[in-house]
Amino acid sequence: MKNILISLFVLSTFSFFAQNAVNSAMFGTMQTRQLGPGTMSGRITAIQGVNNDDGKTLYIGTGGGGVWKSTNAGASYKSVFDKYCQSIGAIAIDQKNPKTVYVGTGESNMRNSVSIGNGLYKSKDGGDNWKKIGLDSTEHISRIVIDPNNSDIIYVAVPGPLWSNSKHRGIYRSSNAGDTWEKLFYIDDQTGCAELLIDPTNPSILFASMWQFRRQPFSFNSGGKGSGLYKSTDAGKTWREIKSGLPEKPFGRIAMNLAPSDPKQMVAIVESTKTGLYISSDGGETWKNQSATMNTCARPFYFSTIVIDPKDPKRVYRPAFQFAYSSDGGYSFTEASSDGGWVHSDMHALWINPSNTNVMYVGTDGGVYLSIDRGVTWQFNHGLPVGQFYHVSIDNKEPYNVYGGLQDNGSWTAPSAAPGGIGNGHWSRVGGGDGFWTVPDVDGKTLYSEYQGGNMARVDMITLKQEGIQPQKTAKDEKLRWNWNTPIVTGANNPKNLYVGAQYLYKSTDQGRNWKRISDDLTTNDKNKQKQEDSGGLSEDNTSAENHCTIFTIAESSLDENLIWAGTDDGNLQVTTDAGKTWTNVSANVAKCGVASQAWVSSIQPSVFDKQTVYVTFENHMYGDMHTYLAKSTDLGKTWKRINHKDFTGFAHKIKEDLVNPNLLFLGTEMGLFATLDGGENWFRMKNNIPEYLMTRDIQIHPKTHDLIIASHGRGIFILDDIRPIRNLTNEIWDQEVYIFPTPDITLNNGKFGWGGPDVSGGWYAGNPPSIPSFDYFFKQRLNSGKVSLEIYDDKGTLLQTMPGTIRRGINKITWNLRGTPPKVAAGSLKMDGAGFTAPMVLPGVYTFKLKVKDKEYVSKVNCIHDAENKNLNLEDRKLVYEKAMQIQKLYNAVNASIDTISNYQAILKADSVAYSKKKHAIAFYDDLQKIKAELMGTKKTSIFADEKRLREKVSELYGNFCWMEAAPNATQLEAIEDLEKDYKTQALALNKVVVKHLPKNPEIKLKKEIK
Amino acid sequence: MKTSKFKLLVFLSVLGFSSFAQNLDEIIAKHIEAIGGKQNWEKLKAMRTESTMKAQGADIKFISVSVDKKATRQDIFVMGMNGYNIINNSEGWNFAPWQGQTKPEAMTADDVKNAQTDLYIQDEFITYKELGKSIDYFGMDDIDGTECHKIKMTDKNGKETTFYIDPATYYVIKRTSKTEANGQVNENSIFFSDYKKTDFGLVIPMSSSGGWSETGITKVEINPVIDESIFKVSK
Repeated sequence: MKNILISLFVLSTFSFFAQNAVNSAMFGTMQTRQLGPGTMSGRITAIQGVNNDDGKTLYIGTGGGGVWKSTNAGASYKSVFDKYCQSIGAIAIDQKNPKTVYVGTGESNMRNSVSIGNGLYKSKDGGDNWKKIGLDSTEHISRIVIDPNNSDIIYVAVPGPLWSNSKHRGIYRSSNAGDTWEKLFYIDDQTGCAELLIDPTNPSILFASMWQFRRQPFSFNSGGKGSGLYKSTDAGKTWREIKSGLPEKPFGRIAMNLAPSDPKQMVAIVESTKTGLYISSDGGETWKNQSATMNTCARPFYFSTIVIDPKDPKRVYRPAFQFAYSSDGGYSFTEASSDGGWVHSDMHALWINPSNTNVMYVGTDGGVYLSIDRGVTWQFNHGLPVGQFYHVSIDNKEPYNVYGGLQDNGSWTAPSAAPGGIGNGHWSRVGGGDGFWTVPDVDGKTLYSEYQGGNMARVDMITLKQEGIQPQKTAKDEKLRWNWNTPIVTGANNPKNLYVGAQYLYKSTDQGRNWKRISDDLTTNDKNKQKQEDSGGLSEDNTSAENHCTIFTIAESSLDENLIWAGTDDGNLQVTTDAGKTWTNVSANVAKCGVASQAWVSSIQPSVFDKQTVYVTFENHMYGDMHTYLAKSTDLGKTWKRINHKDFTGFAHKIKEDLVNPNLLFLGTEMGLFATLDGGENWFRMKNNIPEYLMTRDIQIHPKTHDLIIASHGRGIFILDDIRPIRNLTNEIWDQEVYIFPTPDITLNNGKFGWGGPDVSGGWYAGNPPSIPSFDYFFKQRLNSGKVSLEIYDDKGTLLQTMPGTIRRGINKITWNLRGTPPKVAAGSLKMDGAGFTAPMVLPGVYTFKLKVKDKEYVSKVNCIHDAENKNLNLEDRKLVYEKAMQIQKLYNAVNASIDTISNYQAILKADSVAYSKKKHAIAFYDDLQKIKAELMGTKKTSIFADEKRLREKVSELYGNFCWMEAAPNATQLEAIEDLEKDYKTQALALNKVVVKHLPKNPEIKLKKEIK
Repeated sequence: MKTSKFKLLVFLSVLGFSSFAQNLDEIIAKHIEAIGGKQNWEKLKAMRTESTMKAQGADIKFISVSVDKKATRQDIFVMGMNGYNIINNSEGWNFAPWQGQTKPEAMTADDVKNAQTDLYIQDEFITYKELGKSIDYFGMDDIDGTECHKIKMTDKNGKETTFYIDPATYYVIKRTSKTEANGQVNENSIFFSDYKKTDFGLVIPMSSSGGWSETGITKVEINPVIDESIFKVSK
């Protein structure tokens, strides 16, 4: 049966793209929820503020989450760079015209996981719109400097590519505000510019720190003959190297700055064999070494920021591993206080408000902090959801949870839905260090997490107590090599199987208590790539980030637990069909389809439909090759076909096959999320409320909710709820002008959650998935004229509600609130009455949808079913609740009709106010009516906080209770209906008496036949 | 040599600017033509509309009356209550009883002053030059599955409005306005649909939506006789 379904899918979509161009806009109504969190945020690479607006306008550049803007000094942020590369190296604001902003893409904190950029962008309207203005091949930009006297002159410091030689390095200048560029200063193809300073009092004076650096997959080198400190006094036409007082070369990276209020005062941290802090008081001509703490000078390739207060040349700030400040020009430093809470380590950006230098913002590996006391204490900004996930896992609970590890932010979990939605407070930390794979066990109580270099643990989800489970070297093993991002994987077929990989693959069937090595070394075991202890260059830097010749990817087939694939970081792709007894290396076969031979195997997707079929992504960016590599084999790896598309951008991280439709695949790359509906022939970039160049690291599809769960390296977790409209889009549907998707059965309830009040944790917030399945329809084209509406009828043909519909091309959605039309509220109310916005939830049954599109009508049915899981409300009680709610609605209508009658009489009586004031009978009639009205409704209190309950307010409140009731009503609630009916009867009789009494004395009213 | 290069650059820049400007002018011209033409719109001196907003099955009614460059009034009927907004050349009031107001509140002089350009009821692409607004073109952008021309209009006070014009019809299908008031930046978007030809040949959207609700125009009167006393607050 399953095969037949698969065949149908294949046939129906075979010619899909021959005639139609699918793109993300077709699914534009399907918007992801960005789960965040903002609670641990991610790496911040640049902070700039507008100088003269009280420090309210800030631009934040991030390692993988684009650019965010605040107009309220960081109370909230808005993403303003969602259409472009998300790795940000530098931001500059033209302070003479602060709406002009430049963004250099490609972060220059050159760690192993740093991404790449694709050029320089400019906005002339404060970040609303951006235009790319060149430097496309630079890959990394570290600083943008605008001549303070001439906004047309822009300098850009370009370190250039990290993974390859390149001529696109050095210093670039534009003399026309970015229209054209010239290369101003260039050393060689391995040396770029790490820092660039301009003397604000004499913009012809520039300082440049040139840096020679290079990464390979297995090593890092900071330093070389190209590095040096240079000065220009003619606006960059000529450059002179400065050596006086500086240490012996070679240099590595130099962090430096000058005092804006006294530019001859300078500080620099020079990486060399004797890395140290240097001070100049003569404009950089000569330097003097100062003693400095390890924190001040540590890890110069990564901590490259040092800033001097805009007004006080003696106040120096060093955001590095910790935040340190000096009040004596750098002679001594003090570390910031921890009062007010922990401040995330690893700092890369600092902006000091020049108008109030007590106020500053620091960018760390874990978000932005604000200080209002010159850096002594810090407060966290909670609204930046720029966490850098490596992977995401899910469980089968309801609602399900997501789990993942983040760069420098440990491992975390959060529910996919919760009362009130997902706020920062819903996220819980389950592991430390740099987090990677965080995988729940099938027992629902245990998870596996790790930090860098394969340090893994079995974690009790309740207590968070951990037991280390990393397999250890035995006598017959070589030294174990664990990747920075070591795979921990549970079996797709047998979830009790737990796999981890060093150079050998290990398997446990008892939650990591015991391990069995099920392979020999699956890597190339190239000894030349295993010299990590020498890595770092001038500063030794060996944190397992360069560990190589390791297993990077493991995948058990969901169809057969004996079929296991393993991919390495050095190009091997291995497969076993006997649970590891024998392995076949198919990498040579892969190379034949055009995949670079040494590329990392970044993800493996054994098909869930066919054991012979497998999809694999490879990535080779660490050799300077940024191509998107995706390949498919249908014969267990013997032959391969490379899958490529013109729209692909970024090296590939993840391929995910749908669980139902074999033609639906998702591809995550360093620069985007892509989907295909025809098995890989045609692809489109997904833009469903996600950045177009999202660093997509991992993708999951939930088997129960049909959600697409996306882990990004810079924007946290995204969930696209219920992808069935994408999954079900076949050629037959596509060819129709209008198509109505079947609406799944709707369970009648008020959603899964209540609400306990606002989320007090503040910061980032994501809503819940829709609690009611929507009515979905497809338009081949946008409806340019005419209306769309949806009518809902019960089984007797009674129209319950009419709702407006959307007219967009592609998928449209209308959500029926499962209720009829609310009652009308009488005119003359003094307060809002909630009854006017609600009606009882319908009873179980089949309801008819009529979609009216201009003059055409499309009919479908939906089955609304009783919520059997709700033990507080059986079907009989549900019927009783409905019946009583309608009874109260009838009462409510009667009360409003009486109020309307009174208001109409009163309007006629007072139509001529002068005549009215002279008519005694009219005044008496009016006043008697008003007395009744004052019993029927509140007539005195207008404030929403003033409680004046009269009959209508009481009826309205009881009506609301019954409309939203999800339990059997209690006796007092039922009794209250009768009491209110009696009260109304009393007032209706009183009204009748007043009318009978006064009407004959007010003959003008007799003529008004319309009054009842 | 340098001079020649400079001249060439200037020439290319001017050429580029001209073709860009021409392109934008062409889009605006087509838009104006699509909505009935400049001549017809210039005949518009007053307008009265009745409309209904649907929200959660409940109806909220609006009556809007405007006299070009002089005054506008919008009455709102919700939950048995009646509120209104009035702006004329010298004063403005808001009355929202559903917010607990017991009497109309006068707008500040600054707010009235800033709202004067809103009293121009002819299409904004017809009046923008007269009002000294600048426009910028930002290429195509996806709106509801349709690639639209994106045009930003900025008035003298810096207030920005972005229009998205469907190249198939040259109708505006989305309008986003950004305002800064009392230190806060607010952005509001309205989506337009169901364009229909009305009296005088004016083509206007009969339907608009702002996210959670949709408003449909049920009656349009072009240049009706208007009792201008309605632009004074009720005593």
